[in-house]
Amino acid sequence: MKEGIQLSTLKPLLEIRNLDVSFRTQDSSLRIVHGLNLTLAQGETIGIVGESGSGKSVTSLAIMGLLPKPTGFISNGEILLDGRKISDLKEKEMRELRGNDISMIFQEPMTSLNPVFTIGDQLSEPLKRHKKMSRKERRTRIIDMLRTLGISRPEKIIDEYPHQLSGGMRQRIMISLAMLGEPKLLIADEPTTALDVTIQAQILDLIRTINKQKNTSVMLITHDLGVVAEICDKVAVMYAGEIVEYTDVRTLFDKPLHPYTQGLIASMPNMNERKGELYSIAGNVPRPTDLPKGCHFSTRCMYAMDCCHEEAPPTTSNGCHSVRCWLHVDQPEGHSVEIEEEKNVQYAVRS
Amino acid sequence: MSNTLLEVKRLKKHFAINNGLFKDKSYVKAVDNVSFSVMKGETFGIVGESGCGKSTTGRTILRLNELTSGEVLFDGQDISTLSYEDMRKARRKLQMVFQDPYASLNPKKTIRQILTEPLRVHGLFTKKEREEKAAEIIEIVGLHVSHLDRYPHEFSGGQRQRIGIARAVILQPDLIIADEPVSALDVSIQSQVINLLLRLQMDFNLTYIFISHDLGVVKHITDRVAVMYLGRIVELAKTEDLYDQPMHPYTQALLSAEPIRHPDQKRDRIILKGDVPSPVSPPSGCTFHTRCVSCMEICKTEIPLLEIMEDGRSVACHLYNKM
Ligand SMILES: Nc1ncnc2c1ncn2[C@@H]1O[C@H](COP(=O)(O)OP(=O)(O)OP(=O)(O)O)[C@@H](O)[C@H]1O
Ligand SMILES: Nc1ncnc2c1ncn2[C@@H]1O[C@H](COP(=O)(O)OP(=O)(O)OP(=O)(O)O)[C@@H](O)[C@H]1O
Ligand code: SF4
Ligand SMILES: [Mg+2]
Ligand SMILES: [Mg+2]
Repeated sequence: MKEGIQLSTLKPLLEIRNLDVSFRTQDSSLRIVHGLNLTLAQGETIGIVGESGSGKSVTSLAIMGLLPKPTGFISNGEILLDGRKISDLKEKEMRELRGNDISMIFQEPMTSLNPVFTIGDQLSEPLKRHKKMSRKERRTRIIDMLRTLGISRPEKIIDEYPHQLSGGMRQRIMISLAMLGEPKLLIADEPTTALDVTIQAQILDLIRTINKQKNTSVMLITHDLGVVAEICDKVAVMYAGEIVEYTDVRTLFDKPLHPYTQGLIASMPNMNERKGELYSIAGNVPRPTDLPKGCHFSTRCMYAMDCCHEEAPPTTSNGCHSVRCWLHVDQPEGHSVEIEEEKNVQYAVRS
Repeated sequence: MSNTLLEVKRLKKHFAINNGLFKDKSYVKAVDNVSFSVMKGETFGIVGESGCGKSTTGRTILRLNELTSGEVLFDGQDISTLSYEDMRKARRKLQMVFQDPYASLNPKKTIRQILTEPLRVHGLFTKKEREEKAAEIIEIVGLHVSHLDRYPHEFSGGQRQRIGIARAVILQPDLIIADEPVSALDVSIQSQVINLLLRLQMDFNLTYIFISHDLGVVKHITDRVAVMYLGRIVELAKTEDLYDQPMHPYTQALLSAEPIRHPDQKRDRIILKGDVPSPVSPPSGCTFHTRCVSCMEICKTEIPLLEIMEDGRSVACHLYNKM
């Protein structure tokens, strides 16, 4: 964990600017992700937290160029990798990038491995595509990788099929698959949600080691704040399609600014007296089809003011901590809103 | 002073699995020699990793699976030998809340039907009284009477779980077995449902068996905890004792694997090697010996018994074997 990360000092590897992602419905389209800004430097780890349906996976699919076509599309904004715009690449160029510069570990390890091919066959793919290697070299390389990832008997496992392995082992195979292409950026979508805590500890340990040893940047998607505290440098909290708070991990835990983040932290059972009533956020997450007017959190927020129900709050930032909430806007009057919004864009461009 | 509501003695549930036409049957020892008792009014937790037999223990107590052997005494009566009809009657006092709020409610029935059905099945009250009960309970779990004529798909996960809880509580049971009741819910909704369970326990004097793999939630809500590994209880203790000072090497590893609460918290982690072995061919001796950092020779051959220590806690581990 690096000390006091300044959100804008390191050279960015990944930049997301004002990203909107929408899905086409029968007669119109529905915006699922709105106004996302974030940057990730080489070697940094970022956590994306948020409840089910908040748009975490959709965001990662947008980065990977894997939004389901033709329904899902980027309706505004751009994504840059190493300064190069990747959000409008052709499918062929994007495929080149995937498994080479960016790799992803998916939420469901069971469904993302092909049941009819051996582990070795599947792990050969990234090596075949991008590197000139003999069959034997590939095999050695794969066995080495499996061993590095703590898989015992790799010489044997390489010829087995996915169904012969446990969930934790399959997830490690997925990580091997992602790492063999030596990506600059590893996106892990809930890599441990389906796993037991003892296996989760092994996998997080592994991701931490990869990040340290190879200086791979990691984007970790999770709904578990504890996992974020474990391995992330910084964190973006998503709520109903938007980033509502974005800062380094320590600041988030010590001085959360957004009422949603405050509620999330306060409701962790460990933060409450045993057997006592847990702090809880009332109400339910709104569906994307019936988002409230104004702030998306206004239906559940204990501080909601008139302006919260009328108009969406802008994102305000002091350079290393940004938050999307009217409580943190100096003048919640009409005119200053536009200025703030503009500032926000500039902040993203500058960083 | 506290009196026992449920006593489980040497409970076993072995599932036969077929290995194809010509091979012998083998058995999954899902629950293997499990004994514990639950006091009136307490919350008894069962924790452990996936596949260790938590759900099977709960389901076998309620005889949603038939047991292989053992006894289950409920209020002194052995319910493991009751006829189907008598067991059906007994279930009025023993209810279950399931993990999956989506699958556990009949999609074709209104909430009113779902809530009044258990009362009707047990022949309780008149139709009008049953409807009144439903209206009363729906408000108690934090929903509204106007919700009674809607269908399950119109509700969110957290609301459906409230309905599942209402359905269990409406019979005024003595014991509720809650199998991962909050695991499928979002963090902010989890705390609402936990609060509901705590409040209902006070109001209706309920006893809970709370099954979960979430160590934080179990710590918050339970009085005593049993830790299971491969179908057996390896440690049983008061919740504070267990979390303050776990004794079994597996409990120690399990608790240390829990994610930290703050980035500054230091990690003192026992990383277990490998995966949980298959329950079809569990290791000899102590089933944990293949992953245990303190494994001794005796552990490979002899099964450690769940021994009661002086302070009332129980551990099944040769390290604590009184010779
Ligand atoms: N292919 C699709 N077509 C239409 N809507 C979609 C599609 N995929 C996702 N969505 C919608 O986008 C929203 C965000 O979904 P997403 O999968 O990103 O959530 P998430 O934050 O990853 O949640 P979870 O924690 O459950 O994985 C949801 O409301 C979902 O219904
Ligand atoms: N109907 C069944 N037939 C065969 N095996 C079964 C059956 N039900 C459960 N098992 C096996 O019994 C063992 C214990 O399963 P159980 O569902 O009780 O575990 P659990 O502790 O509840 O796990 P989880 O945390 O995943 O819910 C597992 O190995 C499981 O595969
Ligand atoms: S903008 Fe208003 S409603 Fe939204 S989080 Fe801030 S105070 Fe609450
Ligand atoms: Mg997702
Ligand atoms: Mg279970």
